[in-house]
Amino acid sequence: MITHSLQHRTALIGLMLAGLLPAIVSAEENTSFTLAKTIQDRIAKGEKPIIRVSYHDVSNEFAPFIKKGVEKAATDFGVDATLVGPVGADAEKQVSEIESLIEKGVDGLAISSVSTDALAPVIQRAMARGIPVVTFNTDNPSSKRLAFVGQNLVESGRVAGKLLADTLGGKGSVIITTLDAAAQWSIDREKGAREALGQYPDIKILTTVTTGTEPQQIYGSIENAMQAHPNVDGILSLECCSTPAAGQYVQRNGLADKVKIVGFDLLPETIKLVQGNVVAATIDQGPEKQSYGAVQLLLDVLKGKKIQDVDTGAVVYTSKNIGDYVVASKEQK
Amino acid sequence: MTLQTLSKNANPATDLKARIGSIIAARETGVLLALLVICVFLTFATSSFLTVRNLLNVGRQISLLGIMAIGMTFVLVSREVDLSVGSTYAISGLVTGMLIVRGSALIPALGAGLLLGMLIGSMNGVLSTYGRLPSFIATLGMLSVVRGAALLITDGQPVTVDTTRGGRSEVVNQFYQLGQGQLFGMIPMLLVCFLIVAAISWLVLAKTTFGFRVYAVGGSEKAARLSGIQVFQTKILTFALMGLLSAIAGILSLAFLPSGQAGRTGVGLELDVIAAAIVGGASLSGGEGTILGTIFGTLIIGILRNGLVLLSISPFWQTTAIGLVIICAVGIDKWTGLRRSQ
Repeated sequence: MITHSLQHRTALIGLMLAGLLPAIVSAEENTSFTLAKTIQDRIAKGEKPIIRVSYHDVSNEFAPFIKKGVEKAATDFGVDATLVGPVGADAEKQVSEIESLIEKGVDGLAISSVSTDALAPVIQRAMARGIPVVTFNTDNPSSKRLAFVGQNLVESGRVAGKLLADTLGGKGSVIITTLDAAAQWSIDREKGAREALGQYPDIKILTTVTTGTEPQQIYGSIENAMQAHPNVDGILSLECCSTPAAGQYVQRNGLADKVKIVGFDLLPETIKLVQGNVVAATIDQGPEKQSYGAVQLLLDVLKGKKIQDVDTGAVVYTSKNIGDYVVASKEQK
Repeated sequence: MTLQTLSKNANPATDLKARIGSIIAARETGVLLALLVICVFLTFATSSFLTVRNLLNVGRQISLLGIMAIGMTFVLVSREVDLSVGSTYAISGLVTGMLIVRGSALIPALGAGLLLGMLIGSMNGVLSTYGRLPSFIATLGMLSVVRGAALLITDGQPVTVDTTRGGRSEVVNQFYQLGQGQLFGMIPMLLVCFLIVAAISWLVLAKTTFGFRVYAVGGSEKAARLSGIQVFQTKILTFALMGLLSAIAGILSLAFLPSGQAGRTGVGLELDVIAAAIVGGASLSGGEGTILGTIFGTLIIGILRNGLVLLSISPFWQTTAIGLVIICAVGIDKWTGLRRSQ
């Protein structure tokens, strides 16, 4: 009961403040967000905006790409933007770090949620305190964040499914591999992939293999699954890390001509396997663009601009165009 | 082993030896029996279990776990535990990999990784003896310290061993051979390394003075001290050995895959390693465990994992099943009274 009345009171104060201060209406209708007075004052005085980008696991393969995007945004826009987040995907650690940031005072938060349910309340709390929040990489739709920068995961799954089906000529037996079949991103991509593969009556999905995240485990799981299903024609990997493992398995067992692989992301090992035609295609989601774009959106909010979701797309790389990426990334360095 | 039993016996060394022998014999037979039951079941339940190819796959899959579980056996027998092995495994492999990528020759790169593993192990040992910390705490701390160090030196970037950034092609190829090569064109090198480590370790633990001291220290520190055994040195040596074996496994892992990442490589491995040794008969209360038992324990975990996939059982059940095996393996022992209550 006490909490209820408190919530009412906070809501009332919120309404009062909303009347006094200019409101920024986000891309989503019916959601109003009010920038905190302290932040407005700081920006008005021309102080450097402080942006924190919280990625759900700063120790994974993907984090260096995300970090690069943040650093680039910090230089390009002249803001204080840094990457934060837990070492090892851990919702509790991510939440408590964000809580401390809210207390310390930041001008904007970009968040990639390790778990949608666990992060939604803290995002709402930040927004209630007048700190703008956008999500990137992994969305959190139930949190009423201002906007999302990243790949449409279901759509990217569809793209992957269709690619594999076309590579297989519309028929064959397929296994799907994922680091964690129960994770939201995996569920979304698998849904899209199964939808796309389902359009082809002669394609049979044998099983979804959860590989775990430890490299030896990933390889061993794929090996065991291939032993259990000796007639596999295609492997659809849903993420960065079982893609190269599947490629290595196929290459080492002389199956490169028989088993087609479609996967995700551009780890160094994956690039080599695409160049060698072992992995037929891989889908990039532009991780650097995700964190860069998130910082950019937050700065727009601080300037009072309206913002919208940004789709960083699903760029397909095969042996034909992977060279372009390699050249481009070398030039960047 | 208590002080009272000791005072009744004029020669604590013979007494220790006799007791250890009888406990071990019973336990190993039980584990082997369980292993055979699982194998027979899988042979009839699946068409692909009992094939040379699958068995060699399983052999390779358990090799790294087995090498580390052997090290853990030494540590557990000495009545300590090492939780930092997954991190040591990661950093040793990554350091070796980074040196090769930067153009180092093979031997110095391997040496650096192995030495680092031994150093971390020794540090665990010193903290748990002279530092007077329980090894559970000391190595829990080191788990984090070493994992963080691995992230720092790699800056979170994956380490891929190849020639694109200055690695010498002959060195890279030799390194690949170490992990991906096959003896007689079929036996995976990882399995060969495991068997070599197992043979040497069996000799050391069962037949040498050092091995005897490890049992004595774990059976009763006081008795061991009274028999003139240098307890701290013995323990530090077992930790150093554990570190060395973790490093060997970590380096072989990178040679096999050839890409590692400080945030994921070997994360959570300590639990599998401890489980393998425990299922094989080692005890957290020290003084018990053998290399042969640990090999059986590792095989049970590896074959179970392989078998559950061949049977197309959900991965969530696989996790549950392995947990149940750990409980049953130790439980059956206690419930049937094969082991004396402690």
